[in-house]
Amino acid sequence: MKETRRWLGNTLPTIVFGALFLGLWEWVVRFFGLKPYFLTAPSAIWGQFTTNFSLIRGAATVSGTNALIGLLAGTVLGVAMSFVLSRFRFLNQLITPLAVALNAVPIFVLVAVLNNMYSITSEIPRRIMVALVVYFIVLVNVARGLTEVSPTHVELMRSYAASDVAILRKVRIPNAVPFLFVALKIAAPAAVITAFVSEYFGGSQNGLGSRISSNIANAKNAAAWAYVLAACLLGLLFYLFSAVMESLNRKGEAK
Amino acid sequence: MTAVSIRNANKIFNKGKANQVDALRDVSLDVEHGEFVSLIGPSGCGKSTLLRLIANLLEPTNGEVVVNDKPAAQARLDQDYGMAFQQAGLFEWRTVRKNIELPLELKGWDKPDRAVRANEMLELVQLREFGDHYPWQLSGGMQQRIAIARALAAHPPLLLMDEPFGALDEMTREYMQGELLRICAATGTTVVFVTHSIPEAVYLSNRVVVMSPRPGRITKTVDVPLGGERNEDTRNRTAFFEAITAVREGLRGMHAAHVGLGDDDR
Amino acid sequence: MFLAALVLVVVIWETYKALGPADGGKLLGVRILPRTSEYAMPHVWDMFSRFNRPEVRGSDRTVFDAVLAGAWYSFRLSATGFVMGGVVGVGLAVLMARFRLVQRGVLPYLVVSQTVPLIALAPLVVSWGGKLEVGPFVWPRWLSASLLGAFLSFFPIAVGTLRGLAAAPASSVELLQSYAASWTKTLFKLRFPTAVPYMVPAFRLGASSAVIGVVVAEISTGLRGGIGRLIIEYAREATGDPAKVYTAIFGAALLGLTMAGVVVAVDVFVMRNRPKESVS
Repeated sequence: MKETRRWLGNTLPTIVFGALFLGLWEWVVRFFGLKPYFLTAPSAIWGQFTTNFSLIRGAATVSGTNALIGLLAGTVLGVAMSFVLSRFRFLNQLITPLAVALNAVPIFVLVAVLNNMYSITSEIPRRIMVALVVYFIVLVNVARGLTEVSPTHVELMRSYAASDVAILRKVRIPNAVPFLFVALKIAAPAAVITAFVSEYFGGSQNGLGSRISSNIANAKNAAAWAYVLAACLLGLLFYLFSAVMESLNRKGEAK
Repeated sequence: MTAVSIRNANKIFNKGKANQVDALRDVSLDVEHGEFVSLIGPSGCGKSTLLRLIANLLEPTNGEVVVNDKPAAQARLDQDYGMAFQQAGLFEWRTVRKNIELPLELKGWDKPDRAVRANEMLELVQLREFGDHYPWQLSGGMQQRIAIARALAAHPPLLLMDEPFGALDEMTREYMQGELLRICAATGTTVVFVTHSIPEAVYLSNRVVVMSPRPGRITKTVDVPLGGERNEDTRNRTAFFEAITAVREGLRGMHAAHVGLGDDDR
Repeated sequence: MFLAALVLVVVIWETYKALGPADGGKLLGVRILPRTSEYAMPHVWDMFSRFNRPEVRGSDRTVFDAVLAGAWYSFRLSATGFVMGGVVGVGLAVLMARFRLVQRGVLPYLVVSQTVPLIALAPLVVSWGGKLEVGPFVWPRWLSASLLGAFLSFFPIAVGTLRGLAAAPASSVELLQSYAASWTKTLFKLRFPTAVPYMVPAFRLGASSAVIGVVVAEISTGLRGGIGRLIIEYAREATGDPAKVYTAIFGAALLGLTMAGVVVAVDVFVMRNRPKESVS
């Protein structure tokens, strides 16, 4: 009973704020008679969302698939490369500063050239872009997990005359697993965002991003907002998925 | 006209709820000006709570706390005391000198006055050359000396200390005890000192107040007849050992009482 | 070390170009290998030499000038957005630190919004440009780009700053209470200085978010003058002039690195007297 009261105390303000915000938004649009091209009322957005749901779902599937494929590819490649980095320390020294610098750079602009490398209707440039972004995130984090192990553990294994492979299996990899999940929690939303942004560079126009632009170009702002909502839900879905994976992993650990 | 006067103070946390804690029950204590009084007791006996009542960081549930002949709240607003904790708690982004100046800044002193006083305090704790260093460049003992300098910067009549030497090693600890006595003798400050260590309490104090485990009460007060001048030899005197024994018995007595046979409610 | 990494990238690029199929190819049945013709993958040295030659046939301006001008324009937009986002973010963090209710109500949304592609709002925000009038003030299009940058940077800054403000150790808070210091005094003398190590990574993330916001805004509307538009334009001309688009990409990279560089410089200055431990 005490637990539920405390939980309510914590979540109620959140819900109230959210409801107030939506309510205020709706009221402002109606009261000031704001034109849709400035701000659309939440009710209108929801209406468009439900009306166009099948279209929206189609577009979301396209963007979502790009994000998912890129996420999987980037994760696999990132993990693989991180093993290489942990084995050859000098490579680690080489690549990590590069990855850190790349964090500051809007690398999604590379889609412009990727588009030129493939046919115009291909979704591959976007998937590669997502994979690239995810790759660096996963690489840096998992490499840290493989290399930043407790020196005491390594000493212990050496005292058992354990081979490097054994140390890898018994110490480094278990240490790196939480790092992988942390990376996924960052990479999953990043994958959606990248898949999204890539669509602004031309190429196939089937995804959410392109739909938003085209709806605005046709002055159908409410519809555009509905696609924005879909995009946010997609991003949230990816994040929740990775958060669930992380908590499943943690259930196995002693807490 | 006492420095501190506590009358029948109670402190209950979370009153009426399931996790209610009777931290202090019916505590009365008088501390004279210039006295050095230690509070000692097992964990959870409320000595830190009592100190915070004096500091007006907590309000008593019942009873009265008078500091410097004013209600504790007024004494805090008037800055009539300085406080030192187990963690020196110096601000790592300020130089040593600026750390000492902190209470003076808050009191609205202007720059030249602050500088003069800060130098004075640095002299007092014998760390004059370290004024422009940063806290993390100093050892634990040195940081505590700066914390004491900060606590005394505004020359308050009262010093409250919550296990300030607890994190130091034994030798540094003994050295710091000597330093503290020297500083207090030079400034004539009244001190209320919370500690876990019996020898420390006896070495430093005129009186040792023994407290019982929760709910905290004062069970015994031990006078320490070692006189004002204390030094290394003091630790070898018979009176020193006798006082330690007296305190230990006081602590053990209540310990036996609550661990003995027929103890149902623990 | 960093240069060595770049050299490695160049080597990989040129090796693939030399060895790969000219028309793209299949890997495991998937048409995944990029084309290596001159159009699709120019030589690295061509990219650099392109900088020096005129932007458009017959024009006086070299590509270098054009790219630099574009990058500078976008930099100013990003910086404006970053500053706006920073001010609002820190302000909101202080508000949340002061009023638990505000924190409980707003913080979850702030945290969630970092996982959501807010960038989807870009075309909407930019569409306000030129159409909106508030009295005599006509909404300039560039403001939308800055605003998007501000919007994206504000979230990590607010969250990180709040974490920092809340990180003051209890004993220090007690110390200031014992000095009868007001909440505002405690804010400036204790909470803000304690927050600085937490604000550093938050501001770095904010800076790169501002750049992303501005570049995306430029791209989704072709905002004249910015590096985003240059990239799109040059990409369209890639069949005739394959190396040009890469110059613009280098410009975008330069933009990102410069913003990051400014923030890092401020970081180093602000943390100069602190012990060398990091906060995560």
